[in-house]
Amino acid sequence: MTIKSINGCIGCEECVKSCPCDVIRMERGKAVITYPADCQICHLCRMYCPVDAIEMAPEKSIPVITPWG
Amino acid sequence: MTGPIDTNAHEATATTRREFLTLSGATAGMASFGMTAWADNPVEIEVSAITNTDYDTDVLVIGGGMAGLFAAVKAHDAGAATMIVSKGRLGSSGLTPFGKGFFVFDPETETGTIDDFVDTVSRSALGTNNPVYTRQLAEHSLDRARELADWGFFDQTLANRPFMKPIEERDIPLLERVVITHLFKEDGWIAGAAGFRLDAEETVTIRAKSVILCTGAGGFKPNGFPLGDLTHDGTVMAYRIGAKVTGKEWNDGHTTRSDNPAATFDGWGDMFERVPSTNGVEVHHDLGMDINYRAYVTGNPVAGGPGAAQPTDEVAGGPYVPEEFQRDFDAPGSGEGGAPSGPPPGDGKGGAPGGPPPGFAPSANVGGASAGMAIHKSEGLVPYNDRCVSNITGLYAAGDALGSHMAGGIYTQIGSSLAGSAVQGAIAGEAAADYAASVKAPIIADARIAEVVNEILAPLRREAGYGPAWVTQTLQGIMIPNFVLYIKKASMMQAALAYIEELRDHHAPMLRAANMHELRLAHETRNMILSAEMKLRASLMRTESRGSHYRLDYPDVDDVNWRAWINIYQGSDGSMQLEKQPFDTWPT
Amino acid sequence: MNFSGKTYTFIAALAVFIGLPLLFYALGEAPRRSILKESFSLITLLAVSLMVGQFFLARSNATLLNLFKPPQIQKVHKYIAYSAVGVIFLHPVLIVLPRYFEGGVKPWDAFLTMITTFDSLGILLGLFAWGAMLVLGVTAYFRKKLIPHFSARYRGWRYFHGGLAVAFIIAALWHAIELGRHTDIAMSAFFVILTLIGFALLAKLYWGAMPKKPHTPPISEGATT
Repeated sequence: MTIKSINGCIGCEECVKSCPCDVIRMERGKAVITYPADCQICHLCRMYCPVDAIEMAPEKSIPVITPWG
Repeated sequence: MTGPIDTNAHEATATTRREFLTLSGATAGMASFGMTAWADNPVEIEVSAITNTDYDTDVLVIGGGMAGLFAAVKAHDAGAATMIVSKGRLGSSGLTPFGKGFFVFDPETETGTIDDFVDTVSRSALGTNNPVYTRQLAEHSLDRARELADWGFFDQTLANRPFMKPIEERDIPLLERVVITHLFKEDGWIAGAAGFRLDAEETVTIRAKSVILCTGAGGFKPNGFPLGDLTHDGTVMAYRIGAKVTGKEWNDGHTTRSDNPAATFDGWGDMFERVPSTNGVEVHHDLGMDINYRAYVTGNPVAGGPGAAQPTDEVAGGPYVPEEFQRDFDAPGSGEGGAPSGPPPGDGKGGAPGGPPPGFAPSANVGGASAGMAIHKSEGLVPYNDRCVSNITGLYAAGDALGSHMAGGIYTQIGSSLAGSAVQGAIAGEAAADYAASVKAPIIADARIAEVVNEILAPLRREAGYGPAWVTQTLQGIMIPNFVLYIKKASMMQAALAYIEELRDHHAPMLRAANMHELRLAHETRNMILSAEMKLRASLMRTESRGSHYRLDYPDVDDVNWRAWINIYQGSDGSMQLEKQPFDTWPT
Repeated sequence: MNFSGKTYTFIAALAVFIGLPLLFYALGEAPRRSILKESFSLITLLAVSLMVGQFFLARSNATLLNLFKPPQIQKVHKYIAYSAVGVIFLHPVLIVLPRYFEGGVKPWDAFLTMITTFDSLGILLGLFAWGAMLVLGVTAYFRKKLIPHFSARYRGWRYFHGGLAVAFIIAALWHAIELGRHTDIAMSAFFVILTLIGFALLAKLYWGAMPKKPHTPPISEGATT
């Protein structure tokens, strides 16, 4: 999940630039969630998006194994 | 046709199906994320067609956080041709987006003097702080805050635009999304850096008279506190060319939520959405091992912070907290929210007032999550003077990349993380510009460049190898569970070290990458492995407990033998060497 | 017959131009956000739908002319147009306005980024459509002063107004399909089909002979979509 979806992308690349973990890439002029496994769920992409196109979810795409849960 | 209930039912089903498809899509894609262990390398790019772009500058600033911003601005203003390179975006990578509190020592409003402040930090830090850097923080913080205010930093949530203002005004060249992996050293002097672009099939070399590492701190991408881009890159790059590294035994003790522990935003209170603000003197003894000790002894979850149940029982033993800095267990309303041993509102990285303390949402918290994370300003290159220089001529570091021990081996002054990065960045920038003005441009042999480019691209050229994400997961599995770095014991650390050495010798040389994204992961993984080794060796060497370093087998502070920092460097045979440097001295 | 025809037309028009976009919105998979943001989305969708509907509230719609007096139609056309134009006029601002109430990029910064993303076809189409709509609205308001300047007087004005409307709606829909978060396949098909019918009516009016005898119309044109 991580970044849940991108709806209404205008292709400005703000999210691609703002992602500290290189999760989003451009494909045919639109932002695409390309490497969800590396998402740190920091919401910076969502907050930098000028058209509020990004929807987040708190779950990791790969289940997190913590020492104690 | 259908009633509202049916509609909802349909929606619910549709959502579940969509989520399932997303999840299974992610699972199917795991192989391409390098999640598999040993496998063929399905290279997606033409490696032989990768080109190199060569740049040239006086001062190269690596890193685009708070320290990098000031390093670049001040180096430029001191007359040096300056360039910034960042693997992310200016103001939007590393820990800078996490920090919202900025410590300012304003003589107008403070009741105490700077001397009092430095003494208080030293008492909380049990002598582990370097008072020269502690004083420097207080002396320069107000000026840096004023500059940031001019650029609009305190007017909005996100740092990129305010950070871009001085950079654009000065027309300072900025390379973003370029991952630096190597430093050049020629004849003992720094000569530049090399790396690759994430967005193009291109390596990058930058010749520079002076380099300032503003590469932040590190962590092993701790999966319960997922700072996915903090991977010790700067420290390890510098170590590889002979720089000395300090402070590896200190540990950040942040807990994490038990619900969705990897959700950085959700676990960090409202910090990401806060507008930065300043705060005055407020010295604590925070983010150490006491809460992890509680979790170790009584089991998780651990309580802490408003909204969570307050622990009623005292736990015997555990890390020593100076009486002056102990929290009152029976008065939860007192002080800064009364969270026992936990960060008060506006803790650690931030400190902006008003809001729940980050990492302490009213759900259950678990300890043992943030393994590998450093104490701000206490883990990094050994400073050789008060101007952020390392033992490599021309190589400087600032912020969390410099082991300045500004606040000591435990979290002391609230909001000093951002402020310290700004202060040190500015000092390092001016120092590097002064140095660059006195030397000629270095010459790097073509053969050396070819050799480094080869090393950079090696994971792309492997026909098969270990997936970097899998190796990182293995590293997390060694370092994070069982409190290896929190409640330290020689036997556990030796066991972990054996495994880390195996990763270092057998896995790191066989990491594969299918594209530029994975190439970044491969290099980060190598760096994290080396840092894990440093953390274990330093922790084994320090046979006492102090600040955020807690050993179950040596639980007491040992002032006779251990009023000293531990420096790590690469021996002539390539092995890791450790040495003591007494507190209150400079290395020689 | 006349009375029930009117009633049916009302119901059909409401169902098609308000009901269907609401239905497709409800069935759509775009994530639901805050009430404010969803309200903005809804009024924008309805404004677009009603703008398409303008092709049916015109001289081109012979069915309607059989049921209502031209001044009545013109009045409704005018009120709907000015309201819808007003909403779409504010559309770029409504996109960024909610940022004022939350942490993140500042609304004005977001606005500048948005309208300067010139390598996006969707943004260029949006800017063009917005400009065309502005001209459409302003010229319509001053039409009485403008009509004498057209060589063919009223007929010339009609061509101008209709032509501009066609240009606007093509660009606007293309923009919406390219970028809109709610323009999934169903919503897009709905808008496109409705628009094509509207264009067909207009083409018939402009290029075809004026109907000599009244049609025997279906009860509602719109329902055929």
